[in-house]
Amino acid sequence: MKARAFQIAFLFCALATSSVLGQADVEFAKANQEYAQGHFKEAISGYETLVRAGQWSANVFYDLGNAYFRTGDFGRAVLNYERALVLEPHHPEATANLQIARDEAHALELQPGRLERYLEFASVNQYTVTAAVAFWIAAFCLAALVFTRRRSRATLTLLLVMLLISAGGIVSIWQLERGSKGSALAVVTGKDVQARLATADTANSVLALPPGSEVKILSTRGDWIYAALPNNLRGWIPAKNAERMRLL
Amino acid sequence: MGRAFLIGTVAAILAVSSTFADSPNVTAVLSNSEVAVGETVELQIKVTGPGDARPPEEISIDGLEIHATGTSRQFEIHNFTTNSSVTYNYTVLPLQAGRFTIPPQTVRAGGKLLKTPELILNVADSAGRSSGARPSRGAQSQPVSARDLLFAELIVPKKVAYVGEIVPVQIRMGFDPRIRPRLIEPPEITGQGFTAQKLQQSGQTTETLNGRPYDVVTYKTAIAAARAGKFEIGPVTAKAQVIVPRARSAPRSRGRSPFDLFDLDDPFSDPFFSNPFAKMGERREVEIKSEPVALEVKPLPPNAPPSFSGAIGNFAMTTDAKPKSVQVGDPITVTTTISGRGNFDRVNAPVVEDERGWHKYPPSSKFKQDDEVGISGTKTFDTVFSPNEKKQTVPVLAFSYFDPAKEQYVALRSEPIAISVQGGVAAANVPSAQPGSPPPAAASRVGSATQPTTKPQDILYQLTDRPATAESFAPLYTRPIFWTAQLVPFLALIAFVGWKIRQTRIGNREARRIAALQHEAAELMHKLRRNAASPREYYAEASRVVRVKTALASRSGGIDPNAVDAETAADTFKLNSDSRDQLRRLFEQSDEWQYSGAHNGGTTISPENRREVLGLIENLK
Repeated sequence: MKARAFQIAFLFCALATSSVLGQADVEFAKANQEYAQGHFKEAISGYETLVRAGQWSANVFYDLGNAYFRTGDFGRAVLNYERALVLEPHHPEATANLQIARDEAHALELQPGRLERYLEFASVNQYTVTAAVAFWIAAFCLAALVFTRRRSRATLTLLLVMLLISAGGIVSIWQLERGSKGSALAVVTGKDVQARLATADTANSVLALPPGSEVKILSTRGDWIYAALPNNLRGWIPAKNAERMRLL
Repeated sequence: MGRAFLIGTVAAILAVSSTFADSPNVTAVLSNSEVAVGETVELQIKVTGPGDARPPEEISIDGLEIHATGTSRQFEIHNFTTNSSVTYNYTVLPLQAGRFTIPPQTVRAGGKLLKTPELILNVADSAGRSSGARPSRGAQSQPVSARDLLFAELIVPKKVAYVGEIVPVQIRMGFDPRIRPRLIEPPEITGQGFTAQKLQQSGQTTETLNGRPYDVVTYKTAIAAARAGKFEIGPVTAKAQVIVPRARSAPRSRGRSPFDLFDLDDPFSDPFFSNPFAKMGERREVEIKSEPVALEVKPLPPNAPPSFSGAIGNFAMTTDAKPKSVQVGDPITVTTTISGRGNFDRVNAPVVEDERGWHKYPPSSKFKQDDEVGISGTKTFDTVFSPNEKKQTVPVLAFSYFDPAKEQYVALRSEPIAISVQGGVAAANVPSAQPGSPPPAAASRVGSATQPTTKPQDILYQLTDRPATAESFAPLYTRPIFWTAQLVPFLALIAFVGWKIRQTRIGNREARRIAALQHEAAELMHKLRRNAASPREYYAEASRVVRVKTALASRSGGIDPNAVDAETAADTFKLNSDSRDQLRRLFEQSDEWQYSGAHNGGTTISPENRREVLGLIENLK
């Protein structure tokens, strides 16, 4: 009886999942069709529906970026190309179109530090896996050393190396996450955005930020965000004029 | 008799002294016989003697304001003589210059009428003083109050200015500290045709003017004329609350002084000021006002440079660029610093003389003022330029201002700053493909530094395939699946540790067993050497030693000593045939003694046999 109930529940879940996926495919195809017909706003609406439903993929963001580009919204085009590249760092079309959109918008980019540039040869996820594997190898080595009477020098060396690799991986993750392309990265989507010295529209301007410019959010106060800006500047910008890169 | 004489003598002395004390007299003095108009002197009439005295109710002299300020009494006992005196204080305020005579005043004391001496007061004119009480500081200084209580003055250092020129203005307000002023409305410059900046209090000092201390509060601001013409700046008005004494007990019969703001004659003459606890004062609101100042405003001369934005003053400009080595399209921040003195609100970003080959972003600015009112300071502009082509220097920036001292326009140009613009990173012009067409390779980056990205670029095609599963922006280490996966190596580690612990325990048990066997073998060898056992016991122990040694020597370990026979022992120790035979005999004799039961009793083992057995056993190694 229980087995039958489990089978029914499993079947129901599988059907529901396939239904959602099928619906997403239909929505995606429809948005593509709208784009092909030149109905870019309708295409944007379709892609945004997918995004809101959590159906995130590099191609969806790439296509959404294209649609925004066609409507002249270079800020959101850059944002979505960058999102596509976050999900798939080696997405050639997104890389190419991102550069075009940045050129069109004259967007400013955050310059990574020297250490960050070196660390960018691997992604955060790769560092995560490396650190985890090294950690467990080190744990096994330690257990072997503790419970063995004759302690092998090779085991001890392996333990130290693995601990160093694990620690290096964790430091790399921390550095990349707080760096210019880290979790606080946002893209300016508004037009005529000025970074200001204080949280007031009348405050002195620090830097004019074209659409698509990158900023790093440092803190939030009400409707304003305090951000690190290109050219090593800092300033306040209205929160409505910038969107975080990562959707959570 | 003697005591009666003494008492009589004392009484006589007291009577005499009392007689002297009963003779009242009166004196009158002025604290200063030479004063200027507006300065007060103190008149004291001192009546010495018993009884009440009645001072003159009114001293009326033309040109002088005299009124009572208080009374003090003194009692003295000196060499058995008691003296009492009453001092009546008056304040004398000269209203005009000249020689004044204070005639003898009649004082009734002790039932007698006494007359004060005649007093002379020379009053000089207040030379160099403006029509008010405030010592003059210049043409702008004007008296406001009844001479000595409070004043306000407006100081404008320039008589002539240009339209838009910032003119610093200073406002000084002085208060007699005894009136304990409380400003309820800050000073305000009234007038039309100019704008004034926010008033800033720059300090408070104590100054002595005409011998009288004042608390002087200084305010600073700046004004700028909005149009040409002749204007009156001011007057400055303010309101303050000051403490004045309440109505006095002494009768007043004369008229009010024309200089009395509070209808109290001279408030300084009130005893409240000499003893604030004697009588409570009351707060009154007074208005303070200065005289206006004339200012002539001239228009700016024509033919202003194109880069002139209305800045008037005296400025200097410096320029810097960062970074100095970039790629085509990269931003370069050009920082222009304009410092000096003038109307910084009209100091705009310098203009670019030649923008060709550059993309210029709107500049940002920040101002750091060096004084209270922002006339002098430094204004910094950050302008981001992006080179569209190879360039050797950043664009030349121009800034112009009008110098009112030189009465001409001054144009400043930035020095050319050398930069290095490296190779081209412009994207290729990739034609848009039709949706659904097969995706070509990624757009290649071609072009050199000399090829500006002037052509419009187009984006690549749409991608129509979509993965079956959604992807996540969350880093791997934040996902539950990652931490769940860590259970696998964790459980493996637990199993590994458990296995290791078990192995260790097993090893420990074997070690204990070996130790017990070694101990048993040693004990048995000790007994065998003592030669005290019966043959049955001796052979049993001997065979047991062999078994134990065999168990200890076996490589495989874990052999039960009870299971060892002669062949096993011989094989274990790899004995030769003689020793093997001896070992077999030892086990046979042990069994024989153990199971036959034939040799119970007192049979002993010969020493030869004992040596042979011991020798065999000791050779088992």
